[in-house]
Amino acid sequence: MRVYRDDQKFLQFRINAVMWGIVAAFVFLAGSFWFVQGVQAEKYRGLSEANAMRQIQIPAKRGLIMDRHGKILADNQPAYSLEIDRVVMKPLAKADPARKAKLVAFLSTVLGTPVPELTARYDKEAKEVPFTRPFPIAEDLTMSQVASLQAESIAFPEINVVPVQRRNYPYATMAAHVLGFIGEVGEKELKQNNELAQGDLIGKRGVELMYDQYLRGRGGAEYWEYDADGRRLSEYIPARKQPVPGDNIYLTLDFELQRRAEQYFAENEMVGAAVALDPKSGEVLAMVSSPAFNPNVYSKRFSPDVWKTITSNPFKIELNRAIQGLYSPGSVFKIVMGMAGLSEGVVSPGTEFGCGGSAVFFGRRFRCYKREGHGTVNLARAIKVSCDIYFYNVGARLGVDKIAEYAHKLSFGEISHIDLDGERPGIVPSTAWATNKQHRKWYPSETISVAIGQGPLIVTPLQVANMLAAVANGGKVFQPHVVRYVDRVQPNGEYKRFRVPSRVIHEVTLAPNALQSVREGLWKVVNEEGGTGGNARIDGLDISGKTGTVQVIAQHGWVKTEGLPFRYKDHAWFASFAPLNNPQMVVVVFIEHGGHGGTDAAPLAKLLYEARFRDQVTGARLDLSNPQTLEQIKEGELPLPTTR
Amino acid sequence: MILGERVRPNVDLNFLGTAIVIACIGCLLVYSATYYGDPALGIFKKQILWMAIGLALMITFMVVDYHVLFDVAPILYGIGNLLLVYLLVWGKVTANVKSWIHIGGFQFQPSEFMKIFTALMLARYFDSNDRAYLDARSFLVAMGIIGLPVGLIIIQPDFGTAATFFPLFAVALFFGGVRARVWIAMILIALISIPAGYFFFLKPYQRERIMIFLNPERDPLGSGYQVTQAKIAIGSGGIHGKGFKHGTQAKLEFLPARHTDFIFAVLGEEWGFIGVVVVLGLYLFLVVQALSFAKHARDRGGTFLVISLISFIIFHVMINVSMQIGILPTTGIPLPLISYGGSSTMMFFIAIGLILNVDMRRFVNAP
Repeated sequence: MRVYRDDQKFLQFRINAVMWGIVAAFVFLAGSFWFVQGVQAEKYRGLSEANAMRQIQIPAKRGLIMDRHGKILADNQPAYSLEIDRVVMKPLAKADPARKAKLVAFLSTVLGTPVPELTARYDKEAKEVPFTRPFPIAEDLTMSQVASLQAESIAFPEINVVPVQRRNYPYATMAAHVLGFIGEVGEKELKQNNELAQGDLIGKRGVELMYDQYLRGRGGAEYWEYDADGRRLSEYIPARKQPVPGDNIYLTLDFELQRRAEQYFAENEMVGAAVALDPKSGEVLAMVSSPAFNPNVYSKRFSPDVWKTITSNPFKIELNRAIQGLYSPGSVFKIVMGMAGLSEGVVSPGTEFGCGGSAVFFGRRFRCYKREGHGTVNLARAIKVSCDIYFYNVGARLGVDKIAEYAHKLSFGEISHIDLDGERPGIVPSTAWATNKQHRKWYPSETISVAIGQGPLIVTPLQVANMLAAVANGGKVFQPHVVRYVDRVQPNGEYKRFRVPSRVIHEVTLAPNALQSVREGLWKVVNEEGGTGGNARIDGLDISGKTGTVQVIAQHGWVKTEGLPFRYKDHAWFASFAPLNNPQMVVVVFIEHGGHGGTDAAPLAKLLYEARFRDQVTGARLDLSNPQTLEQIKEGELPLPTTR
Repeated sequence: MILGERVRPNVDLNFLGTAIVIACIGCLLVYSATYYGDPALGIFKKQILWMAIGLALMITFMVVDYHVLFDVAPILYGIGNLLLVYLLVWGKVTANVKSWIHIGGFQFQPSEFMKIFTALMLARYFDSNDRAYLDARSFLVAMGIIGLPVGLIIIQPDFGTAATFFPLFAVALFFGGVRARVWIAMILIALISIPAGYFFFLKPYQRERIMIFLNPERDPLGSGYQVTQAKIAIGSGGIHGKGFKHGTQAKLEFLPARHTDFIFAVLGEEWGFIGVVVVLGLYLFLVVQALSFAKHARDRGGTFLVISLISFIIFHVMINVSMQIGILPTTGIPLPLISYGGSSTMMFFIAIGLILNVDMRRFVNAP
């Protein structure tokens, strides 16, 4: 046992000293509370009962969303909502037990909503919203409703008519899948982000979701004095916190291209997607998914019926087909095959194969879509006429794993991390995929189907555009993006601009002769007699492209699909870029059950090129003396004529 | 043996019961404070959970002989410091400070547990140092034991939490024993370094807080607003209070942080001066009991452990209660066993467990 020296007594003494010190301190604290609660109680009771300060939230104005030239695609419209304040109502309800019934009856006459419906909403909101916060009971009041409500504000002080900003998309369905929509914050989002509060409106899809933290802004607050009856007296101005408006966003989309593309789908009642990309930066110039939803519907409170019509739409209008639709690429995939074949050296630009309408691989007979055959074909001609036999041969020589390697390098089978939600990766089959995902062996004969873009291979239209952009720019796969600038308002009222950078996600080494032969073939598709994409031709502009027509059902023999019902019709692709020597734009069109790539998809591409290169096509000249034009060209922006 | 010679039912039930009564009052206050803003009672239910975990930890730290804990103290102390270093390097910044470790959906502050480990380490050191006054070497060692974690927390930079280690310094100096001339030297150094620290080390918001404390009108709706609202709440409670769940100031969200740092104001409003005196009395009972345990502890290490731990509770209660009515500036210091919060609830229950631990094993000649 330890033996203490004389310090033991000393320690005891100190402990006793501290104890008495603490007793004294507690007595002092109790005395202080006596002073506040006993001596000054009346003063503080008066303060607490007479006038009390309440915080009133002021929502921030959500940022605008504009196209690349500043055309407004999403803004805010003033509207009026009706709220009930239970803090004000409580003393009134104490005096009159029928207060709630009277209030609901009054609101029912003004709003024209049946009493049971209003009561149900009242009870639901009262349960969900904290007591201290006013809860909404009606939205989008008409001016006459506002007038009648305000006329009775003395009799019913618990009702507040609140000006709100309603999110508005002036062109309704235009670019809906890119813009997305907003909605009330959910349980999960509240838990994840402590900046959000119940009842806040936040982005739920598209740019509204992905850039929500920029668009949202920061709410402000006012402090109002209330009297004992809950009546609002005056604002305590020095405490006011001004809301900070959200950042404005400039998309990369070009309004004119987007409009033309959507019009094309609408006029022809087509289902599908279109993507226009800048192959030098990955900027998305147009992104269409048809049919589209109307984001304005989501900005309002909507009934379960409206919700049902959205979710039960047979065409899945919420699906962004450009990044979420998975389809067989069909003949469009022959571009990848050509690149892989030449880069790997299994064929040379001059290698020829004979096409007699069918050929046998791995003991099975495979047909060319052209029954009578294409005769002798080299790569450029095989692309031009889309000969299947040629690519069966290339596929047999490469093997599925080499095909998969090039497909992955050229953006297939993985998400591109575009700044939109819900992007899907698709499938690039390989022997490893068969073993790991399918738990089976890969049969060499399946490789033959993959060689013409059929089989388990599925891709999104955006991936096709990204692949073609790499072919156009010589091997760079960009991370596509739909937002160009974020403009943040500074305290001095000026905007500070943040540019979304271009990022290369893959850099593929493609043999120069491969690039040359494939591009030549693609040029011939559109510009030579007998090419499958002649419908996209524009005089004076070297458009290069590839058509694709994808069988939806297995066909035995050669079948014409024109007479088939809609859901059995072929899918149509057209993937293209222009001009040949200095590619500025990639256009990919996909029409679901649209028939043929050449006849149904190519004309839309032509419309977009016409819009984009109008000056070059019509011979109009750019005003190079205008410094703004020069600046735009330097920035890689569209050199559009000023008369536009 | 881990349990010591013989574990007898020597638990001081008055002390244990008082701690549990305080924690139960805390749960009721959390319930009342969040009832209107959080109808799902999520915060209240969580606090019940923290209390249950805290009780389990308390029993653990009561059963294991504190001499065994002294043996492993260097390991715990080392791990705690490593966690603090980990936070500095890899920690996620939450509210400008890297002081939280996230595990699954939960997060905890290692600095809270570090208080216990540092107290253990310090007590272990004093167990083998029984001079009436600290010599230069032991002075430096004691300061070093406390200074290392405090330094790491200051870099986070979480000055509020670092300041809560102050009672350990006080314990080491006052009970360790420092001669008069050293006290004078330290006071002089403090007088010079406080203004220097104010201008060179404090962040602008921290300076602002001090300025507001000295002159509350500077910011009627910032920290000054909190104190004003807390005072209105407490004062309007009067002698008897407005009754459970009937506080209007707290309920109407006039009072910020009403289930955490300003929960004492809810007590003052709803249970009045009587409630305030009862709760202060319960705390005082805890403190007096603990100090008497310290006096009768079996060895010097036990004495220092109890003093160190109770000093945390004294410090938190004094600072928190004082700031409710503006005697001291507003700081983020919770009320022990009452304020809502996982790490602090657990920390204080462990402290209670350890104090009982020392008391249980006070008999030198246990048969």
